[in-house]
Amino acid sequence: MRILKNSNFDFMGKKSFALALSGLIALAGIISLVINGGPKLSIDFKGGTFVAVQYTEDINVEEVRSKMGTINIDGQKFDFSREEVKHFGDKTAVSVRVPHIENSPSNFAQKIAVHLFESFPNKIPANMTEFVLSKGVISPKIGSELSGKAIMAILSALGLILLYISIRFEFKFALGAIAALSHDVLITLGMFSLLSYEVSLPIIAAFLTIVGYSLNDTIVIFDRIRENLKSSRRESYTDIVNQSINKSLSRTIITSLTTFVVVFILWLFGGEVIHNFAFAMIVGVIIGTYSSVYIASTLVIFLHDNAKK
Amino acid sequence: MQNKLTPRFLLIGLVLVWGIWSLWPSIKLQTLSEDEKSALSEQGNLEILESRAIKQGLDLKGGMYIALEVDIPTLIENIAINKDQKLSSIFEDIRKEISASPEADFFDLFSVLIDKKQLKLSRYYYDYGSSTNDITSALKEEAEDAINRVLEILQNRIDQFGVAEPTIQKQGNQRIIVELAGVQNSERARSLLESTALLEFYLVKDVTATNDLMIKIDQILKKDKSVASVAKELKSENKKLDSTSNDQAVSVSELFGAAEPSEEADSAIVDEDIFAERPFSSMLRSLGNSIGVPEKNAYAIKKLIEKPEVQERLASIGANFLFSHKAEEYALTDGSVEKMYALYLLDDQAELTGGVVEEAKANLGPQGTTSAGQPIVNLSMNSDGARKWAIMTGSNIGRQVAIVLDKKVHMAPNIREKISGGGTLIEGFASIDEAKDIAIVLRAGALPAPVDIVEERVIGPSLGADSVKSGTQSILIGLAIVLLFMILYYRTAGTIADFALIWNIVLVLAILASLHATLTLPGIAGLILTVGMSIDANVIIFERIREELDKGKTAKAAIDGGYDRALTTIIDANMTTLIAALVLWQFGTGPIRGFATVLFWGILISMFTAIFVTRTIFNAFVNRKGFSKLSI
Repeated sequence: MRILKNSNFDFMGKKSFALALSGLIALAGIISLVINGGPKLSIDFKGGTFVAVQYTEDINVEEVRSKMGTINIDGQKFDFSREEVKHFGDKTAVSVRVPHIENSPSNFAQKIAVHLFESFPNKIPANMTEFVLSKGVISPKIGSELSGKAIMAILSALGLILLYISIRFEFKFALGAIAALSHDVLITLGMFSLLSYEVSLPIIAAFLTIVGYSLNDTIVIFDRIRENLKSSRRESYTDIVNQSINKSLSRTIITSLTTFVVVFILWLFGGEVIHNFAFAMIVGVIIGTYSSVYIASTLVIFLHDNAKK
Repeated sequence: MQNKLTPRFLLIGLVLVWGIWSLWPSIKLQTLSEDEKSALSEQGNLEILESRAIKQGLDLKGGMYIALEVDIPTLIENIAINKDQKLSSIFEDIRKEISASPEADFFDLFSVLIDKKQLKLSRYYYDYGSSTNDITSALKEEAEDAINRVLEILQNRIDQFGVAEPTIQKQGNQRIIVELAGVQNSERARSLLESTALLEFYLVKDVTATNDLMIKIDQILKKDKSVASVAKELKSENKKLDSTSNDQAVSVSELFGAAEPSEEADSAIVDEDIFAERPFSSMLRSLGNSIGVPEKNAYAIKKLIEKPEVQERLASIGANFLFSHKAEEYALTDGSVEKMYALYLLDDQAELTGGVVEEAKANLGPQGTTSAGQPIVNLSMNSDGARKWAIMTGSNIGRQVAIVLDKKVHMAPNIREKISGGGTLIEGFASIDEAKDIAIVLRAGALPAPVDIVEERVIGPSLGADSVKSGTQSILIGLAIVLLFMILYYRTAGTIADFALIWNIVLVLAILASLHATLTLPGIAGLILTVGMSIDANVIIFERIREELDKGKTAKAAIDGGYDRALTTIIDANMTTLIAALVLWQFGTGPIRGFATVLFWGILISMFTAIFVTRTIFNAFVNRKGFSKLSI
């Protein structure tokens, strides 16, 4: 069976349209990021408290929210009715996130969980162990350390990849690859901001997976370009790039499709914990495939043409 | 040709055998029923099996993760001699600084402030050297040593608590990470870790002294404008409210900016006139021997006690207020029941501390005593402790002695007679489990400094199980579709690739098992990426082979050509991902590291399976007698 044989699409001919599209999506994301003051970071990075609990029946988020308005811990009163309260997985479970507060009472998460337990006596399981799905407290100190480390990791990974591609290919290819990676992460980040999804630790792992995937895709095309540059000297640079993309097209489609199927099913059935992770991956697979062709290759052509002038 | 392939098959066979051997314990563990598990654990074989199987991360198995930090400022403050106002103000400044910018290093701040205020460190720390530099470096060592001691003590506590496969490790200079997989009662484990286990015995001030002080505090607070103005406000508020409802209660906690006013009663109803007159004592109840603090007023009372003018007054008579460790229900004269903490006025110097405890055992109180059938902890002291205890009890007959654990009063019995022999008991535990835990922490010894929980994550057992179930299911469905697609699209070649892919997964898991690595959700993500890369490598090769076949080459030449051409592509593509994995491993913590580990090994193995293994099988096919056409 074969999907494509000897395809000959003029990819590079449509590059202005593609770049405009990319620019538009990226711009929407950037605007949203600027308006919201950066990505919506989870308490992994900011510090705070979260509690996810399981009721025995469907529970109304608004009722939980109003109960969260009147928490009383040893005489200290809190109003969390404006904090994030939402269903967790299905309608019987609820998660609550509260940002870090100075001098919070000890064992804060558990006390919130107890409050949620006692607030709905008709809908609770037999004991707290069954009730609490997950809870946690993260101090801002841990959060800022984590952000620092994540940024360091991403920057040094990009640096080393730049170095490797410069050695194995040419510097302009390295720039092309990095541009594609940055494009992918920026757009995914923008999508998260537009949909007001939270960026948590697993999402960072998803971003890294996207980076790995997109890089793989880009290198495969670059490899073809490198090979075709050696064999044919008469055709124009753009033609060679176009040819190379076409030659590797059926591989690109098959690989993207299979990966897409896996992450799509993960998104559909993977459960609450993995849901946003899978979403980032879906966006990443699509964008990663596209950026290898349009961002990475386009930039290589641009740099090549500019160097000649 | 046959001879050339034999060593390759031999290598492949060996790797396969190793993989299955490494993975066997994990497979066996998965298939065991609960009964079989308990039978094995009686023989002591379950632990061996578990130690050789892949460890599931907390996010998959459920459990708790706690990061603790040793409170270095308190440690250094505690070991100072001749403490005075100047020194404590320095520590106060440092604490403020650290809470504002958490990354600041304690010793840097300490040195700067000592310089600025021109304090002589040798005055407070003469045991540690004479010059400021010597002392600072000795204190640094002291802090490091304290962390190691904390680590040891926590290890000891957890061992006695009895959790399967606890992980306790030091991270950096002042952090300790504890991971307890599958812990059902996270609250118990938490208090076990957090407790400083500082046991102290204080004499309770007598009733007259206590009453005197209460009157003084009321007078002091009356002068305090912030308290007085609120009292006034309450008065006018209540006048307004009188016309509508008498039920409106006054929230004393509003005073302290704890929250906005609400319609609900948040503190015990206090008559505002009495509050204005006696801001402190009006919020308290008499409990005969001690003072009762209604649970709802506890926060306000704590805040009032913390006020500097009240602290000054307390210091002048050498006393300190401490709360009981939990609120209990007391029947009031009007027949209602109220939950209250007991508040004790104690000497500010402890008569005796927990360092003298030799043995601590949890028990039920013996018949014929007041604590009959109640959970108690029996203490026995060393000879030094026993002597001091005897002197102290002997000379204070009739007075109350408070047994204080981690600055909370557990009980305050009257001393009826001189106790020699160094035995005593503590009561006031909610359950025998709590008593057992206290006995554990007392045996393991007090921590040299308090610890703060900087990060805590608890995954309930059901959530872990759910994520595993839905996660594995969807991955298996996805995998099945991909495998099927490969067979449909590439026929025999696809089947070979599928075989290599399954093998790839088996080998990655086998490596995780033999590295004693932990499989977490991000780890599974890494596995998915690996699967993608492995499929991709085969797709690249197959597409190349098809191209070669299109050029009219023979099957054998096409395979050789396809593999050769694909090789550089695959290596370059995988190398960049490998670099990313290594960097992530270096910088990442916990979950990110799990991802990087899986990715690193996954890529190495996928290069082996996708290039070496499939090619060997292809060659065997081509060399077979009667081979005519390549099914690709």
